[in-house]
Parts: sequence; structure tokens; C-alpha cells
Amino acid sequence: MVNQNEVITNEGGSVHTGVQEGESFIEIKNLAKTYKRDEVETVAIEDFSLDIKKGELISVVGPSGCGKTTILRMIAGLLEPTAGTITIAGRPCKEPGPDRGMVFQDFALLPWRSVIKNVELGLEIAGVPKEERRERAEKYLEIVGLEKFKDSRINELSGGMKQRVGIARALVNKPDVILMDEPFGALDAQTRNIMQAGLVKILDKTDQTIVFITHSVDEAVFLSDRIVILTKRPASIREIIEIPWPRPRDRASPEFTALRKRILEELERENVLE
Amino acid sequence: MTFRYDDNNKYHRFGRYALVTAMSLVAFVLVWWVVSIIADTNVLPTPLETVNALVDFFEDGYLGNSAWDYIWSSLKLFIQGFLLAMVLAVPLGLVLGFSKTLNTFVTPVIEVLRPIAPMAWAPVFIYGISYGTGPILVVFIGIFFPLLTNIIFGVKKIDPTLIDAARTLGANKLQLFTKVMAPSAVPYVMNGIKVGLGVGWMCIVAAEMYSPMSLGVGYCISNMCMSGLWPSTFAMLIVIAVLGILTTTTAEYLQKYISKRMGVE
Ligand SMILES: Nc1ncnc2c1ncn2[C@@H]1O[C@H](COP(=O)(O)OP(=O)(O)O)[C@@H](O)[C@H]1O
Ligand SMILES: [Mg+2]
Repeated sequence: MVNQNEVITNEGGSVHTGVQEGESFIEIKNLAKTYKRDEVETVAIEDFSLDIKKGELISVVGPSGCGKTTILRMIAGLLEPTAGTITIAGRPCKEPGPDRGMVFQDFALLPWRSVIKNVELGLEIAGVPKEERRERAEKYLEIVGLEKFKDSRINELSGGMKQRVGIARALVNKPDVILMDEPFGALDAQTRNIMQAGLVKILDKTDQTIVFITHSVDEAVFLSDRIVILTKRPASIREIIEIPWPRPRDRASPEFTALRKRILEELERENVLE
Repeated sequence: MTFRYDDNNKYHRFGRYALVTAMSLVAFVLVWWVVSIIADTNVLPTPLETVNALVDFFEDGYLGNSAWDYIWSSLKLFIQGFLLAMVLAVPLGLVLGFSKTLNTFVTPVIEVLRPIAPMAWAPVFIYGISYGTGPILVVFIGIFFPLLTNIIFGVKKIDPTLIDAARTLGANKLQLFTKVMAPSAVPYVMNGIKVGLGVGWMCIVAAEMYSPMSLGVGYCISNMCMSGLWPSTFAMLIVIAVLGILTTTTAEYLQKYISKRMGVE
């Protein structure tokens, strides 16, 4: 269980969980999900097991519609598994909670709040006093490079800026893990690259554990410590690839292009195989 | 120096708007004037006679009461009906927006009652309940239904990913309501208020005509009419129009302002 004192001193990640960097941290065992509506059953996930290590960025790639969002929503506690268990540092995660932050493809920012008030939302919910809230939110707006826009309204921002607010909103609560569901999927290619580089910088600063869902293999190779390649629906793990290279990575390097090509081929086979 | 209209200049845009609006009003008065001279009947006074009657009404009052007595009397009924509608429609709309079962249960009743013209209720409420509260209830009915349907719609329109986002930030049920659902619904509540005020103001004037107890502008105009005071009658029409325009433009301005503040266009 979470100890009150330790939560307060929680600085720079999940100190309170007692799990060391690189140790297995989120344990997903035999996860399954079947959607049922009227007489139609859709088996989205079948027998999915994965250990996520503390401090790593693990990305999940797979054909569209294979069940990536379903997995992430179950980790977030927004969706109940049909079978299997998910634990974070030993605690089962059945309900959503501030220990698991989420970044949404369509940003999910509250349009009636200013930028900084959006970032403060989680702290406000947790009952953090006003001044501390401000201070912490300002710090994270600085990390994502939006300190000048703290009083702007959401609909004045570009897509890339909106997602930076979404990332700051998740980071500021110092969650054990941040779950990102195709966070840059709604952005144009150039903004996407800028955001990826920005995320790499944030990783340097925070040691944040991140589960990153994407359908862009390029993005996965650029960012990840490990890549989980899913089979087509019902999703299970086809292969896990470790990428020990330091970041930032050079997209033009031969090993980068070779790995990207290999994963693409693998995904293609997954799509063709019947 | 020649003047060139520039659509990107807000002063030019406003000037144009003001000029065209003024021309529209002048044209209206002119047509009225011509028609009143051609028609040559007591029933249709000229604009000048009407303005004189209007000035008299505000200076001398009517039947021993001042103009402001009549106006305030109507406004009082209007405000009471409006508040009653707010107090009932806001919580009911929120509940019906959230609960599918309750919504299914109540919808048939609403759909039967809603198309009944508010004025059809006037004799029922005024003769059946009381001269005093009857007109208030008529206004209430006029405002209640547009308000209710807008609020239900607003709650249903809440973006489910905003709810997900707040839940992943640890929000409990109450926090979900105060931090996401209620603010999301505010622009729709405002829209309901805007529509409701327009309908409500039409109701009040007509409802007062039924009620021998009321002392508002509706009573005033029907009395003037029956006494053959046509210029005064037309002056009252102007008073009623101006009050109606004031309430709806205020509501419209508020609605636009709040929607913009809330990030909903
Ligand atoms: N609420 C739901 N009800 C029924 N089927 C669903 C629901 N959500 C997702 N699905 C189905 O489950 C499968 C996986 O969906 P999803 O996890 O969103 O895939 P991905 O994120 O990989 O594109 C899809 O076939 C989708 O149609
Ligand atoms: Mg998805």
C-alpha cells in the first residue's frame, strides 16, 4: 500500500513504490478482453502478459484495430478486463487513479480552463494548496516549453502545443507511469518530429516510465527502450524488441533504418497472414 | 481625401452596422407614417402621436399608477417565473441528462406537455389556480421547456474523453461533476435561458390580459385598447417591444460571452 509520508516526498517518479529503476514494475498477466454487444462478441485481447520495467519507455505497435487502446484503457483502470490481472508495484489497478497518468490522442483538455489551470487539474483534485499547485504547474509548463502561454486559452493553441499541455498535465502529478495513446497521431509530420524530440528531452529530465502506443514504427524506433509488436486481433504479443541505443537517435543511421524496415516487414506479415 | 470602407477595420464595420440599422428604423417609421395618413383611422396613430402618448405615459402614468409601476409589476412576474423555471429545470435537466432510465421514463411526459402552447395554460392557471400566481406559472411554462431540453442536450454532449481524463487524474464522482460535467453544461444552460427568456416575455404580456389582478404592461395595454386610447396603446407596444429586446439581447450577450469564456463557440 501507499505510505502517506512517502507520497509527499515523491520527487521525480515513483519513489514511494520502492521499485528500483529497471526492475519489473507493472505486471500484466494473462490479460483478456472480450467486448459484448447484443449478440456480437469481439475478442479484442487474448492471453496478453507483459512486464514493464521502471523508468523505461515501452511502445506498443500493431495493426490498427488490433486492441492497443483496449490494453491501455485496462492499465488505466478505465476498462475492466474479462480475465487476467494488472498490478503496479504489487498493487492491483482496478480503478483509475493519479498513479497512472494518461495522454490522449485528441488531447482531452478542458476548453474552459486556461493552460495552467489545465495542468493544475490533477493537483486540484488531489487537494494540493493553491500556491504549490501554481508553482508545480509552472515548472512543468517550463519543461514542455509553454511557460509563456500559461494564461492562454486552449483554443488559441496549435495541436502540438495542446499536446504539450496534455503531457505537462500528466507529468505534474508525478505518476508511476504515463500511458500515451497515439499522442502525436493527430499532428502533422513535422510537428510530430518536434514533439518526439521534445519527449526525448523530457525523458532525460524525469526518468518517467511511459507506455507509448503508436502505429508509427518510425516513432517507436526513435523513442523506445523496448518495442512490443502485437499480432492482429485478438491481440497478443508477437515479438518484443530491445533497443539499447542511447537517445537522441539518428533516423538516418543504418541500424535505425534497418530496424525500422525489419519491424515494418513483420507487421506486414501479421496483416497478410490469415 | 476620400473615404474607403475597410471591412477589416472594426470602427468601419460598426459604422456600417449602425448606419444600416438606423436606415432600417427610419424606413420603418416612414412607412408607418405614410400608412397611418393614408388609412386615416383612429386605430392607427401616426408615429408623432404615438411618441407624444409615450412621453405622456412616462410623465403622467395611467389610471393613477406610474409607468414604472406597470413595468415593474410585469418584470416581477417575469423574474419569479424565470427563477422557478431555473430552480426546477437545472437539477431536473442534469439528472435526466445523466440517468438513461429516468430519461426514458420522463421523456414521453415531456413530449406530450412540451408542444402545448404556453398560452393555452393561461386560463387554466389563472382561473384554476389563482390570479396572482397564474401568470407566473404561464411564464414558468414558457421558460421551463426550452431550458430543460437544452440542459439535457448539454449533459449528453459532454465529451466522454474529458470524463476519462479527469478520472485518470483521480477525480471522484463529485469532482467529475463539479470540474467537468457542470462546466461543460453551462453554455447549454445559457442557450436554454436565452431561448426561454424570449418565450417567457411573450407569455407574460398575454397572461396578464387574463388576470384581473395583475397590474402589468399586458393589463395596461388591454385597458387602453378597450378605452379607445389608440396612441397610448401603440406607445405601450413600443414599451413592450423595448423590454423584450432588452431581455433577449442581454441573455444573448451573456450566452455568447460565457460560451466564449468556456471555450465553446
Ligand atoms: N466499446 C467497444 N465495444 C465493442 N467493440 C469494441 C469497443 N471498443 C473497441 N472495440 C473493438 O475492439 C477492437 C480493438 O479496438 P482498439 O483497442 O480500439 O484497437 P486499436 O487501438 O489497436 O486500434 C476493434 O475491433 C474494435 O472495433
Ligand atoms: Mg486505438
